[in-house]
Formats: sequence, structure tokens, C-alpha cells
Amino acid sequence: MSQSVTPRRTTRSSASASPSAAPATPSSPPKSRPKPSPRRQLLAAAAAAPPKEDGSSVDAALLDALPGRRAQAMDLLRLLAPAPVLPLMLHGGAATGKTRALLLALRHLRPSQRLVYAALRSLPSPRALFASILSQLSATSFSTSSRQRLPDKPSDFVAALRDALTGIISQGEVVYLVFDNLEVVRSWDKGGQLLPLLRLHDLLQLSQVVLVYVSSGTPDAYYSMTGSVEPNYVYFPDYTVDEVRDILMHGHPNPKLYSSFLSVALKPLFRVTRRVDELSAVLEPLFRRYCEPLGDLKAVPDEGMKRRLFEHVQPHLAVALNETFSVPMRASMDEVKDVGSAGKGSVKRQFAGRDGISSELEFHMSVSAKYLLLSAFLASRNPATLDAALFDSTGGSDNHKRKRKSSQASRDMKDTIVEEMLMKGPGTFPLERLLAIFQCITSVSEDILDEVECPDNMASESETTGLMSDVLLQLSTLCNSNFLSKSRSCPLEGSARYRSNIDEDLALKVARSVHFPLSKYMYRR
Amino acid sequence: MAAATSVASRAQAVLRGRLCDQAVVHAALRSSPDTNYSKLKYLVASSVSEACNNSVLLLGPRGCGKAAVVKMVLDDLKKEHPDAISVIRLNGMLHSDDNCAMKEIARQLCLEHQLSFSKMASSDDNTEFMIDMLRECGLAHKTIIFVLEEFDLFAQGKQRLLYSLLDAMQSLTSQAVVIGVSCRLDADQLLEKRVRSRFSHRKLLFVPSSVDSLQRLMDHLLTLSEDTPLPTKYVREYNARVTSIFSDKKFKGILNSLTDADATTSHILRFLFRVVSYMDMDSGLLSMQSFMNALSSMQRQPKMDSLQDLSILELYILVCMNRLEDKEHSSYNFTTIMKEYKSVQDAYKTSDKYSHTVCFRAFEHLLGRELISFADNRGRTLSLEYRPVKLLISSHELAQSLKLNTTCPAVLQKLLDRERYM
Repeated sequence: MSQSVTPRRTTRSSASASPSAAPATPSSPPKSRPKPSPRRQLLAAAAAAPPKEDGSSVDAALLDALPGRRAQAMDLLRLLAPAPVLPLMLHGGAATGKTRALLLALRHLRPSQRLVYAALRSLPSPRALFASILSQLSATSFSTSSRQRLPDKPSDFVAALRDALTGIISQGEVVYLVFDNLEVVRSWDKGGQLLPLLRLHDLLQLSQVVLVYVSSGTPDAYYSMTGSVEPNYVYFPDYTVDEVRDILMHGHPNPKLYSSFLSVALKPLFRVTRRVDELSAVLEPLFRRYCEPLGDLKAVPDEGMKRRLFEHVQPHLAVALNETFSVPMRASMDEVKDVGSAGKGSVKRQFAGRDGISSELEFHMSVSAKYLLLSAFLASRNPATLDAALFDSTGGSDNHKRKRKSSQASRDMKDTIVEEMLMKGPGTFPLERLLAIFQCITSVSEDILDEVECPDNMASESETTGLMSDVLLQLSTLCNSNFLSKSRSCPLEGSARYRSNIDEDLALKVARSVHFPLSKYMYRR
Repeated sequence: MAAATSVASRAQAVLRGRLCDQAVVHAALRSSPDTNYSKLKYLVASSVSEACNNSVLLLGPRGCGKAAVVKMVLDDLKKEHPDAISVIRLNGMLHSDDNCAMKEIARQLCLEHQLSFSKMASSDDNTEFMIDMLRECGLAHKTIIFVLEEFDLFAQGKQRLLYSLLDAMQSLTSQAVVIGVSCRLDADQLLEKRVRSRFSHRKLLFVPSSVDSLQRLMDHLLTLSEDTPLPTKYVREYNARVTSIFSDKKFKGILNSLTDADATTSHILRFLFRVVSYMDMDSGLLSMQSFMNALSSMQRQPKMDSLQDLSILELYILVCMNRLEDKEHSSYNFTTIMKEYKSVQDAYKTSDKYSHTVCFRAFEHLLGRELISFADNRGRTLSLEYRPVKLLISSHELAQSLKLNTTCPAVLQKLLDRERYM
């Protein structure tokens, strides 16, 4: 799902850049990615000549820059250090500081190292990977491989790579080849590309080349029938509560106030997710809310004030626990304020909100689009055989009797149907069925429509034609905004089929906004 | 102090260099008379001196030094007959495609004989070129040695490469040796009839070394010799420490648990590499502690580790999935899991009742950690909630990790246990 991508990406880059930036991101809007990505800066710094200092002080600086990663950093320093090195694999969950620790460790290990870094997630194909690695190698070396054709087969790549590397190594340099996001390769070409990559050490047989793999998948994801050179593993566990607190506290302007806030907010949020990036994204607006009653942000809170602040932030905390990310909209902000005063009852209603939609609709949608959405929802949920019963000439007004009849079916039969429904998800439907249902429900609720419809409808016969006129346009809009999805055309009928993606909560909200009795038309088992 | 540190880092560099050098690791093979090394060397040397064709397969599990033996033999022979040998290396992982392999052979032949290589040449041209070269080299009494690593991968498909190679070797003029290296013991059974009949059925079998020989190997690799540039006093002290560790009873235990898991040489090498990396840099000596640390880092269980990293909500979802599997649901998806989760929350009234979206994010985290996965590849068009999923961990692992987890609520434990003993 794409709903949490945007905040994750920004916070990831900021969290991985420096812990000081992680908690203090109120200035950066969540959508714009900082142009010079911090990781790229780190990369440039790692490739450039490092500050050469005394060994011990450098170690201390490194450990300081990697809070909670002491054991891993020491392991890295020891395993990466002098030249002949067996391949290394860093693995651990997302947002555990793998890449950052590696790049920082490489930065001050060697003055004359050459670093080749390939983040496989940003390279869509093997060809792009080969091109990226070779261009990084040849950019500064004397080889003229830029004029040559780019290799697209692993065999050509390994040959070209060996040529490029031997040129550099003969000058006595050590080359570090880093493959980040290794787990992505498994989806390329059924993993056929993975074997040569993982066995580069065997294939190259060059002792001055250090191979480092970074993966968020566990090592057993890479076992295959040809798995001889297992790398040395360094495991990055997720941060514990205390480590997360340290990271978030790092470089905060008012540590006293922030720590009293974290002591309230971190524990409950930690039960939901343990990832620093997600936590910092949730905590940042919460902290602003926490500070609201305070006039002076420099204030050091005492016990009484702490209690007061806690009571102030508690309802917001309950909301924050139940959403993945919040869209800062004016309407919802005001509403949250109201909710805070109204108490817990209305807070509950907010939980159902999905994709930033709370109990009231907060986006504009034309009436016909709303009806279309509802008919698509009905077409997806209800079995097609019941359409006639639900939408007969009486307009579904006497459907109570029929519904009762269908619910008298035997119990276990019902259960299996419910199970099947849960498994299959929403059904697909052809365009004709959608239009038929649309026509039915608009004709039924004509009386309601009269209130909403524009008064100067020149067509004399009915308002529904006005609604029907641009229905195909509305349909494509709904498809584009991912309320509906268009699946492949059915091989028998040849026409495209649609599926509604919205859940019941949203459908009920839409129905409420146009005063449409949706529950009357839903087939309940 | 500074001097000791630099001695230590120099010693560490020496040790690391040895561990990464296959020739040093397998040097023991060179000395004893009745090894695969001497057999292979005799075979290749005799075909070089008698100007005949030959072929041999080296078979054995991974990490037993097959490729290292080939390398040592070829290095020795190159020294003995500098002008009479040219080596062509192919790897099944890279060159299993016949056209690609032919091209690679032509490329390496051109490189060896200072000819210009045409990238545009067709596969037939390359084959013809190879046959011509074989004849020319045969007339010049020069042996071409083909080393085919991952031999079994060449036996996929039509085996055109193997056929044309072995067929060209049937003529009297040519002078070539094919050395196949494979970890499949039945590699020769994979050959087609026409290829098999042209193949000499010489096989050299490699077996993993015994615990005793592994200990000898460790001794050989870790002991510093006195003629290194390192100070003699340090070398003596260091060697004394190593011998004392080797005679320790704890060390026997470490060695046993290491070889129980995997007794190949490469595994031992990785272990020793860690040990040397964990060397105490102040004194420059190895300690029992570095062996213990290396062992514990080798014996991690990735699945258990990532189970320990889960948040409470993620554990709830795993337990719910486990309950569904115990109830013998043939397949289930996120919506079914949520139904189970709701019923659990209704029954126990815990504080961990979260909304659908938050649960879905936790579900996605589990997918990312590969503790659960989609049950099939069908239905990619379906949204994620409705795709059937399955657990990738056993209920035993889950129970164990819940026991180890100190923050885990008691309800969760109960939910898992009750289901299992009911």
C-alpha cells in the first residue's frame, strides 16, 4: 500500500542521516524530499579522503554517531579493517542503521580506499546495476570502458569488472564493493542474477576487493543450491526502547521537556511499531500538541505541569496510536480540537478514518460520483443474482421480506459463504451492471436528489439523465484516484471489469453525505 | 604500547592474508603423496608431456578445496612448462549459455595468443575458431587446459558446448585437457549419450575433512612461523598461547559444535577469520574469548532474532495467524486475521486494540521481515488484504520467542498455549 510511503521516505533519509535531525523535523514539510540526500552526502564523504586522527578518538566519534549500535560498529571495524577480507553481509530489519553504520565505518577506516556503492533498489535492472558499478569504477581510473558497450550479461559484466578492478588494484588500492538492498535482486529474473552477485568473491579471486552486502532479508533468504561462499554476517537488531529514546533525544533543544514527553508517549507507541522512522514521524506532531499549553518552550516542566500536559495530550495520543499517518488538513485539525474537548466517545469514531478521511468526508466529490461510488460498492459486495430482488420495480422498498428469506439459509452454509467472501475480497463486475445499479439507486432517491440537484436542469424528463450524462468521465476519474480498479477484460465477454477498492466504513460515510440508505441495499449474510 | 599495537595489527594482517589465500589453506595437500592433488597433477602432467587428450571430473561437496587443488596444480605446471600450457576458465554460473561460452572461449584464446578478438563473430565462427586453435596448438605441442567450474550447469540444455569441445578432442592432432569441477556427485550421469561416450570417465572424489585434520588445519593456519618479520619474542608468546588454547577442553567443545553444523573447510575458514578479527589488539594475542565470540556470532538463528525484534502488535498478528492455522483453515488472508484479532480482543479486553490501518502496517512489516509471505503468486491484481498468506515460522519457534520476550503480555502467551493443548 502506498499510504505510508511518503512520510517513511523522508523520515528514513533524515533518520539515517543524523540522529540530531530525526526528532527535529518540523521545518521540513513531509512531502518534499531534501534535495542533497543525506545518504548521498555521506557517500561522497565516505569516498573522499577521511579525517585522519588518532585511532581511539576516531572510534569514539564513530560510536557517538551511531547510538545503540556499539557492538555492530566494533564488529564492522574489526571485520573490514586490513585488506584481505572475506565477504561480509549486514542484515537486519528496516531502519536499523545498517547502511549508515557501514558508510561511517568505511569513512574512517582507510585513507586511500575506493568505494563503489550500488543501492539495488534504485537500479531497476541488472543492466543498470552493471552500468552503475562500471561507471563508478572507471570514472577515476584510466580505463576507457565508457566508450565500450555496456554489458548486459553477467558473464560480460564479470569480465569487464575484473578488467576494471585489476587496473585499480595494481596501483595498490583496496576497492570496497557495496551492494545495498540485496533483497530486491531476488525479484529480478527469478533470482538468476543473484548467484553471480553473491559469488563474486569466488568469480573474481581478487584479494584486494572487499565485497559487502546489505540486506533487510535474513540470510536464509539467500541459501540456494549454489551457496558455497557464505559471507560473514553482522546482525543489526531493532533498537530497544532506551536506544530509541536516546536517538530521539539526541540534540534536542529542550531535553527536559522532551524527555518528560517521551516518558509519556514513547511506551504506548512502541507497542505498535519499533521503527525509529515511523516513531519520529508520529511523535513530532504529538510533541507540538504537547507543548501547546506552554507559553515558553524553554520552560522546564515541574510535576504539576507534567500532569497537566499529559492530560492535554492523552486524547491525541489515543488517536495517534491508531493512524499510520495524518494529513495536515485544516478541517481535521479543528475537529481534533473539538474531539479533545468532547471526550472519548467521538475519538473512537475517528479511528475508522482511512487515508486521512475521518468521520466526515473531507474531500470534494460530485454527487453523481458519490452515487457511482456507492453503486460500484454494491456491485462488488452483492452477488449479481440478487440484483433483481434488491432493485426491482418497487425500488427496493419491499426488500425486507426477501432479505429475511435469504438469511434463513442454513447456518453452516452461511458461515462458509462468509469465509469465502473474506477470502475472495470484493468481486468484479461489468460496466453494464454498474450502470444498471446506478440508474436504480438514483431513481429511487429522486426525492433526495431534488434537494441537491441544480434547479435549472433543462432536460424535462428527469434529473437522472443529467446525472447519467458524464458518468463515463466520472468512472475514469474514480479509477484514476484508485477508488475503483479496472481489471483485465474477461476472456468470454471481452469487456473490461471493475472492482471497488473502498471499505464499508468509507462507503457508509459517502452514503450518509448524500442521505442514501445504503444498508438497505447491502446483502447481509 | 604503540609498538605492541602495530605488531598486533601486522600479525593480524599476516593471519588474515593466510586465511584468504586458498594456496596456503590447502598447502597440506601438496606435501602428502596420495591425495587428489598428486593424482590430478600426475594426470595433467602426463597428458602435457605425452601430448594426448584427457578429461577428468572433480566431484565433492562445496568448500572441500576442489577449485583450490586445480589452481595449485595449474600454477605448478605453469612453472614447470611455461610455454606448453594455456588455460581457459569457464564458470557454469556465467557461461551456461552455449553461445556465450563459445564466445568466452574465443575471447580467452585470443587473449592468450595475442590475437585480436572480434565481438561480432557468430557462434559458428567461434566454434570453428576453437577447433582451428586446438589443431594449431596441437601441432605446436601446446596443451590447452579447459577448466569448467560448476560443470553440472553446462550439462543443462543441448550440451552443445560440451559436445563440440569433446568431439574436437577426438582427433589426433589436438592436445587438450578438460577439467570439470562440480558439487553434484552424479554430474557425469547428466551427460547425454553422445557426450558421455566422448568423455573419459575419470573422477576424483573429494570428501570433507575429519575433525582431526581440521584441527591440524587450524594449527597450521594460526601458528605463526619464526621467520616472519615479526619480533621473535612476540611470535613465541603468541604460539604458546595458541597451543594452550588448542589443548583446552573448552576448545574441543567449540570445535565439535562447529563441525556438527558444517564441517567444510570454508566454514572453518570463516570461523577462523572471525577469531583473528576479534584478536585483542593491545596484547596481540588470541584468547578463548575471541573463539567464543566468533562461535556465538556464527551460530545465530536469523528467524529467532527477527522474532525478538517484533513489536507487541506484530506478535499479536502472528499469534492470530497461528491460531487460524491450528483451526485448520485451509487458507486465510488479512481480513480473516483481523476477524480473529477482533474476536481475541473482544474476549480478553486488552489494551492492545488498534485500528485496521495500524494493524495493516504491522502486517506489512511482517511481510517485509519475511516472517510471513503470500501463499501463492496468483491474484497479483487483488489488493493485499485479500491475498492468502502463510506463516514462515513454526508454532514452536513462536512459543519460544514469546517465552524469551520480556515485554510480551501474558495474554499472548496464554492465547498461544491454550490453543495448542486444547
